[in-house]
Amino acid sequence: MTTASTMIELQDVHKSYGHLEVLRGIDLQVTKSEVVVVIGPSGSGKSTMLRCLNALEPIQRGTILIEGIDITDSKTNVNRVREKIGMVFQSFNLFPHKTALENIMLAPHKVKKQPHGEVQKIAYDLLVKVGLSEKADCYPDQLSGGQQQRVAIARALAMQPDMMLFDEVTSALDPELVAEVLNVMKDLALGGMTMVVVTHEMGFAREVGTRMIFMDEGVIVEESHPREMIANPREERTKKFLGMVL
Amino acid sequence: MESLLNGFEAFQRYYLNWQIIQETFPLLLRTLPIVGQLLVFSMFFSFVLGLVLSLMRLSRLRAFRWFAGAYVDFFRGLPLLLNFVFVYSGLAIVGAASGLRFLILPSIIAAVLSLSTTYAAYSAEVFRAGIESIHRGQMEAARSLGMTYAQSMRYVVLPQAIKIVIPPLTNEFIALIKDTSLASVISVQELLFTAKEKMGVVANPTPLMVAAFVYVIFTIPLIRLAARLEKKQERGSKGGRPTGGDTTSALIPADIAAQLPKGGGPLPL
Repeated sequence: MTTASTMIELQDVHKSYGHLEVLRGIDLQVTKSEVVVVIGPSGSGKSTMLRCLNALEPIQRGTILIEGIDITDSKTNVNRVREKIGMVFQSFNLFPHKTALENIMLAPHKVKKQPHGEVQKIAYDLLVKVGLSEKADCYPDQLSGGQQQRVAIARALAMQPDMMLFDEVTSALDPELVAEVLNVMKDLALGGMTMVVVTHEMGFAREVGTRMIFMDEGVIVEESHPREMIANPREERTKKFLGMVL
Repeated sequence: MESLLNGFEAFQRYYLNWQIIQETFPLLLRTLPIVGQLLVFSMFFSFVLGLVLSLMRLSRLRAFRWFAGAYVDFFRGLPLLLNFVFVYSGLAIVGAASGLRFLILPSIIAAVLSLSTTYAAYSAEVFRAGIESIHRGQMEAARSLGMTYAQSMRYVVLPQAIKIVIPPLTNEFIALIKDTSLASVISVQELLFTAKEKMGVVANPTPLMVAAFVYVIFTIPLIRLAARLEKKQERGSKGGRPTGGDTTSALIPADIAAQLPKGGGPLPL
């Protein structure tokens, strides 16, 4: 099954909070440069699945392989694996005591031990890439939500990850700020980045996604090309959900 | 009316005797270096020990959590006065009987040790509250970048937490100033001890009034400062931390979040 270009592989992943089973047997493979869009109603487990991918949440059963490395194995150094996985959160989670540039520089400096000057250049180039070079010295509370989220994306990219996870990254944004963030993500996808995107942005999914997954009650209900799923959902639950969000 | 006047006159003679005030004041000022030493060392050690204890209390390791919890409970319950007596006399008795003479501590060192151990327990609680007040998304963001738990604490969580605990720590410092006076029971020649000595010599309690005056004069500016810092923080927290977004609900679906323990401390990931 697993090929050289398999970036993420989930086998029968189960996750519960106490008695509440949030993921009930997830199987999924993501190959290089795929953009997998995950949709589903609130509480369906899509964010939880994403958080399991970089071991922010422990799982109770099953296996998660990142580039062939089993992150559920206690011998695996999760920190090394997390360097390969960039993650962007709904609530941005920028470090408020650091400027935009410092936010981006922190991890490469401390984790990869890259020299200060080199890191600074990388960070600045990334700010240019997300269109915020003039905001380098601003603190997060001086930035709009959209700008903060773009800095958060740059911060994740600074570790030069092989894949990126996006957890409803536009849900906390005012509508007029959504596009600037989606545009950055679009550029990333066009550049060949492997991405798993939990979102409600159907326009983005249709345009950028290479595969769409509909989750409900902790399982993957349906899986196909975004355009295909949006136009012709096979399952009743998918139809109902799409009917509500479209 | 006459009896009231008599009462006032007696009060003045015994508590505000001008002659004795003039004699006592310079005596007490000379003790300030000792009070200062008690303060600086006790503050430093209680800060360091308190920080370590708070991190142990939030640790993944049960033994650490248990030890820190027991330590904090014990020293918060133990009257500081008894701590002084145990550390000074208790250790000295053990030291003399066992031949471990290093246990016989000079009174000023015993005083610093007592103040530090007790105040570390208070500081640990303050630090813990500060660390727990930092949104857990901060720890998660740091960990997701590949930083270790220690790096995330050191560079992301603690710098924010320490800023938050500065006002409560200032309040603790104020309490510490007053509690240095307890060192008088183990004969540290600090302010209250000297005042009591003088009181014995002149057979008049006026020196106590002078001591009270000095304590109050020295604490008032700090009380003001603490109030100012608190106000500043309140203002800051309104607009200052938009990067947090909504709390747990942003990370975990609301129906699941409702079943989780409250208080978004950093996850021991």
